[in-house]
Amino acid sequence: MSLILAAESLAEIINSYAECDASSVAIAAVIHVALIGAFFGLPAGIFIWAERKVSARIQDRLGPTRVGGRFGWLQAVADGAKLVQKEDLCPKDADKPLFRIAPYVVVIASFAAFMFLPFTDGWSAVSLDVGMFLLFAMLSLEVIGVILAGYASGSKWALFGGMREAAQMVSYEIPMSICALIPIVMAGTLNLNEVIHYQSADWIGVIPPFLHWNVFHPVAGPAFIVYFVCATASCKRAPFDLAEAESELVAGFLTEYSGMRWSFFFLAEYASMFLVSAVAAILFLGGWDDGFGIVRALKGNSTNVLDPGVIAGNLLGAGVLMLKASKLVLIQIWVRWTLPRLRIDQVMTTCLKYLLPMSCALFLAAVVYPMALVLGTGRPQILPLSNDVSAEAEMSTSSEVEVERAAADGEVT
Amino acid sequence: MSDLVFHMVLFTIAGTVLVMAPLLIGRLVRPNLPTDEKDAIYECGEPTIGSSFIQWDLRFYTIALLFIVFDVEVAFFFPWATLYGGTMQLADSQLDAPSRFDLTDKLLNQVPGTSAASGESIASGEAIQLGLLAFSDILVFFGVLLVGFAYVWKRGDLEWVRAAISTSGQRTIPDP
Repeated sequence: MSLILAAESLAEIINSYAECDASSVAIAAVIHVALIGAFFGLPAGIFIWAERKVSARIQDRLGPTRVGGRFGWLQAVADGAKLVQKEDLCPKDADKPLFRIAPYVVVIASFAAFMFLPFTDGWSAVSLDVGMFLLFAMLSLEVIGVILAGYASGSKWALFGGMREAAQMVSYEIPMSICALIPIVMAGTLNLNEVIHYQSADWIGVIPPFLHWNVFHPVAGPAFIVYFVCATASCKRAPFDLAEAESELVAGFLTEYSGMRWSFFFLAEYASMFLVSAVAAILFLGGWDDGFGIVRALKGNSTNVLDPGVIAGNLLGAGVLMLKASKLVLIQIWVRWTLPRLRIDQVMTTCLKYLLPMSCALFLAAVVYPMALVLGTGRPQILPLSNDVSAEAEMSTSSEVEVERAAADGEVT
Repeated sequence: MSDLVFHMVLFTIAGTVLVMAPLLIGRLVRPNLPTDEKDAIYECGEPTIGSSFIQWDLRFYTIALLFIVFDVEVAFFFPWATLYGGTMQLADSQLDAPSRFDLTDKLLNQVPGTSAASGESIASGEAIQLGLLAFSDILVFFGVLLVGFAYVWKRGDLEWVRAAISTSGQRTIPDP
C-alpha cells in the first residue's frame, strides 16, 4: 500500500513527539478542523466577491470597487461586518426553535462533507474506503436545513420554496449519484484519493498523462457534463434556483430570514458549490494530478511525508486541485448570469425525462464498454499501461496470456 | 472507525461554533427593537391570511417514492461498482505483477500484502469470468429498475402539471 493516509500520518507524527495514541489523534483532528475551516470559509468569501465582479462584468457594470482598494476585494468582509450589526428577526408566527436551528443544519452538513475531500495526495481529514458514499450522504443532509427553514418560517412563500427544494433535490440527486458512480465503476474503489491515483500516470511515449483523466474517457466524458448540470442544480444555483426564485417567490425559503442567519445560507451555498466542483475535479478531471507528470516527478517513489520533494509535490497538487475546482465554480457563476431560469415543471422534466435516462444509459455504457474491450482486445482501456510494463509483459507472459485468453474465450462462447 | 466518529463530532461542534460565534458577537452590537410590523409574516405588504401550517399537496409524492427506489438501488450499486472495477482492471492481460497483487488484496478484502506473500493472485482469465457474472447480475438488477421507471413514466407520474393530463385522457392505465 503506497498511499499515506493523512489522518494516520499526522497522528503518527504527533505521536512520535507525545507518545500517547488517543491525544495525538485528538490533536490531529483539531488541526484538521482548523485547516478545513479555513478552506470552508475562505473560498466561500472569495467566490461571493467573484460572483459580484463576474456578474458586473457580464452586465457591463463595474461591481464593487471601493472596499479594500481598487478591486473591492474586501467586499465580503465588509458585508459580514454589516450583517453582524443587523437586527435578528424571527416572525411571531414562525416555529421559533426550528427557525433558529435551520442555518446550523445547513452549515454543519456542508462543512462536515469537506472532511472526506482529499486536498492533495493523502491530505484528507478522514480517508475511508467509503469516502465518496459518506460525502454524498453528508451533502444531501443540507436539503433538510432548507426544508426546515421553509417550513418553520410560517410564510407561504417560504413554504413554496422549501417544498420546491425538496422535490428538486430528491430528483436531481439520482442522476448525480449515478454519474458519480461511473468513475467508481472504472477505478473500482470508493476512496476518493485512489480514484485520483487511477487517473494519474506518467508520460507514455508521446501520450501526455492528462489523457488518463476520466473526462477524456468516451463514457465518463459525457457523464462529467451530466454530473456538473446536476451538481449545479443541487447547489440551488440558477438556472435551477427554484427554492429561492427571487422573481416569483419573493426570496423563497429565505423570505423571513435577515442579517447573519440569512448570510449563513449563502456561506453554505458557496461552500457546497466549491465542494461539488472539487468532487467533479476529483472524479473526472484528475484531482491533484497536474496532467503533465510534474507532481509525480516531484514526489518520486518516496513514501516519507516529510520529504521536501513530497511536500513540494503535495503543495503543487493542492494548488492544482484548487485551481480546477475554482474554474468549475467560475463556470457555475458564468452560467448563472448567462442562461435564463427554468420554470419548476421544466426543472423537473429536465431531470426526470432527460438527465435521468441519460445517466442510466451512460451507466450501462460504462458497464458494457470495459467488458467489450476486454473480450475484444484483452484490455479494459485503450491507453497503454506504461512503456516498460507492456514490453515486459509481452516478453515474459505473452504465451501465458494467450492461454488464459483462449480459456476465457472458451468459457464465454 | 473511532477516528471517523471523532472527526464527525468535532466537525459538528466546529460548525456549531462557526454559526453561533457571529450571532453571539452580534448580540452585543445589534439593535433589538421589535415592532408588530417587523414581526409579521411577509405577504406582499398585505395582512396575512391564514396560517401557513396547513395541509399541503405533496406534488412530488410519487417522485419521492421513485427516489427511494432509485436511491436504495444506487446504494447497492456502490459496493458492486468497486468489485466490477477491480475485476475489470484485473482482466487486463498486460497488468504487471505488483498491481495485480494489490488489486487482488483489495478485491478479496485481504490485508495488503497477503497475496504478494503467498504469490497467488487472480489471473486475467478468472477475472473475466468473475466480471461476466457481475455484468449479468447488474443487467438483471438494473433492468428491473428500468422497467419500473418506464411504468411510472407511462402512468404520467413524472408530470408536474397533473390536471392537464387527466383532462386530456392521456392516462390510460387506471390508478391501482
